[in-house]
Amino acid sequence: MIESSYEREFTAIAKEYEKSGGNVSDFLRKDIVSIIVSGNKVIGRNTVEGVHVRAKELDNGVEIWLDIEDDVVIENPIHLCTGYLKPEGTQEVLIHNRLGSRARAKFISHCVFPSGVNFTHSMVADTDVGENAEMFYEDTHMHSKDGGVTVRATYNTVVRKGGRFQNMFYLTKTRVGKLFVKMNVNLEKNSTAHIESKVYEREDDYLEIDEELHLNGEGSSGIAKTTVFATDRSKAKIINKAYGNAPYSRGHIECNEIIKGDSVEVGTMPELYVKNEKAELTHEASIGRVNVKQMETLMSKGLSEEEATDMIVKGLLR
Amino acid sequence: MLEVKEVKLIRDERNILNSLTASFEKGRVYAILGNNGVGKSTLSYVLMGLESHNDYKGKILLDGEEIDTLSVSDRAKKGISLSWQEPARFKGLTVKEYLTLGGKLRLSREELDETLSIVGLNNEYLDRLVDESLSGGERKRVELASIMLVNPRVTILDEPDSGIDIMSMEMIERVLERLRDKGSVVIIITHREEIARMADEAYLLCGGRMIASGEPEEIVSFYRKLCDTCQHINEPITEGGLAND
Repeated sequence: MIESSYEREFTAIAKEYEKSGGNVSDFLRKDIVSIIVSGNKVIGRNTVEGVHVRAKELDNGVEIWLDIEDDVVIENPIHLCTGYLKPEGTQEVLIHNRLGSRARAKFISHCVFPSGVNFTHSMVADTDVGENAEMFYEDTHMHSKDGGVTVRATYNTVVRKGGRFQNMFYLTKTRVGKLFVKMNVNLEKNSTAHIESKVYEREDDYLEIDEELHLNGEGSSGIAKTTVFATDRSKAKIINKAYGNAPYSRGHIECNEIIKGDSVEVGTMPELYVKNEKAELTHEASIGRVNVKQMETLMSKGLSEEEATDMIVKGLLR
Repeated sequence: MLEVKEVKLIRDERNILNSLTASFEKGRVYAILGNNGVGKSTLSYVLMGLESHNDYKGKILLDGEEIDTLSVSDRAKKGISLSWQEPARFKGLTVKEYLTLGGKLRLSREELDETLSIVGLNNEYLDRLVDESLSGGERKRVELASIMLVNPRVTILDEPDSGIDIMSMEMIERVLERLRDKGSVVIIITHREEIARMADEAYLLCGGRMIASGEPEEIVSFYRKLCDTCQHINEPITEGGLAND
């Protein structure tokens, strides 16, 4: 529920949250777990049976613990919203998620920084997905128009035996500013993970993504994917790594960078490391303009080059 | 309405299209019949003005206006459209988005449903993705639905039956009927006699040149007689060769 002294702040964040595709009314429902952070304050929160939420204010941010008991299946997605409305400053968010054994939950997280001119947001999410538990985490960012936002987002995850984990990161609707994403997943026996980032860069945006899969358990498997659409004078550096440390572990890493413009600078580096002869790792990487056949297919139906590009990229970045 | 005059396209010193001349009238369905490698798909790409095929010589006129310098988009805006032999797949786009060109075409639900039914698909396909989750045959049907919804003045169907089972010939007939009713010039690129017979007129293409034209049945029998034993498969004919024999 929303703290009464922060209703105006909530309204401002809610406006941006809706622009990013969120449904504000979900924050007012008693059957939905939700946490709303503005600056260094938790301005609203709600929880349900079997889910324990604890938060601590830091000097320039918040620290949150979210614990889901064993065997608890959360039907409605857990909503997290982190906002910062001032143009300058820093915000630090530390998140500790724990899913008990056989628990199941989907998280929908939105980070909205609409006014950032000289603003830095640092987030570290440490997540423990219990045995045979399932977790889906979707993180959508909305940054300011003038590119003055810097985000450092780090996701450290352990997926226990038989667990399933999916982490999606999206920054496609606004300027990026400067973005540094690190996703690090450690997989135990027979667990699976799918981590993916999708980013649309404009003007002089800068991006670094570093995704790592550590396939430590026998029979573990994982996919790490990145899709970047780089335009104008933007720069991107993508590193996807997979470590096949256990027998019958399987990993695949994939990076697709689509470029538009002569001043774009992008690079991708797939790295595969195998420590067990029964591990199997593969990679795919591509850098280039939008697929010509797709373009011409749409143009032959009457779309302009710009319209065709937009439509193709919209699909790729979903 | 659409005239192709002395069109030549050379690749690696080979005449892929060799002084090709043909004309197509409004509301009629034409079959371009020929074996593999005689230049059929190349002709469709040249008519559509694809970037990789716009270095041809000769002239293409639409209603008397030269369109040789026009891009794919500009030709499409003039009313020429192509249904691809192997349609591209699009990650993340739904069939509905593809058919409406991302919402650019204002189409009612009824129009979408009815057009899908012509190609033998139900409206549940509207929410499917135009990616690897569709089979080749399903993707081809979506492509045929798409071309009908664009409502072109000149429709080029490159091998409309490829990837579609033989039982679906009736579906292709329904597509042709719809396009004919809308007054489109329809140009079918095919190597299948059954498809050629659905046309009002046919051309026989060999070595990048139209070597015969007339009633479809006549051209089909000519094709059987001449092309089944042809020594020129995948080789363009030279001056004094088969043309006008």
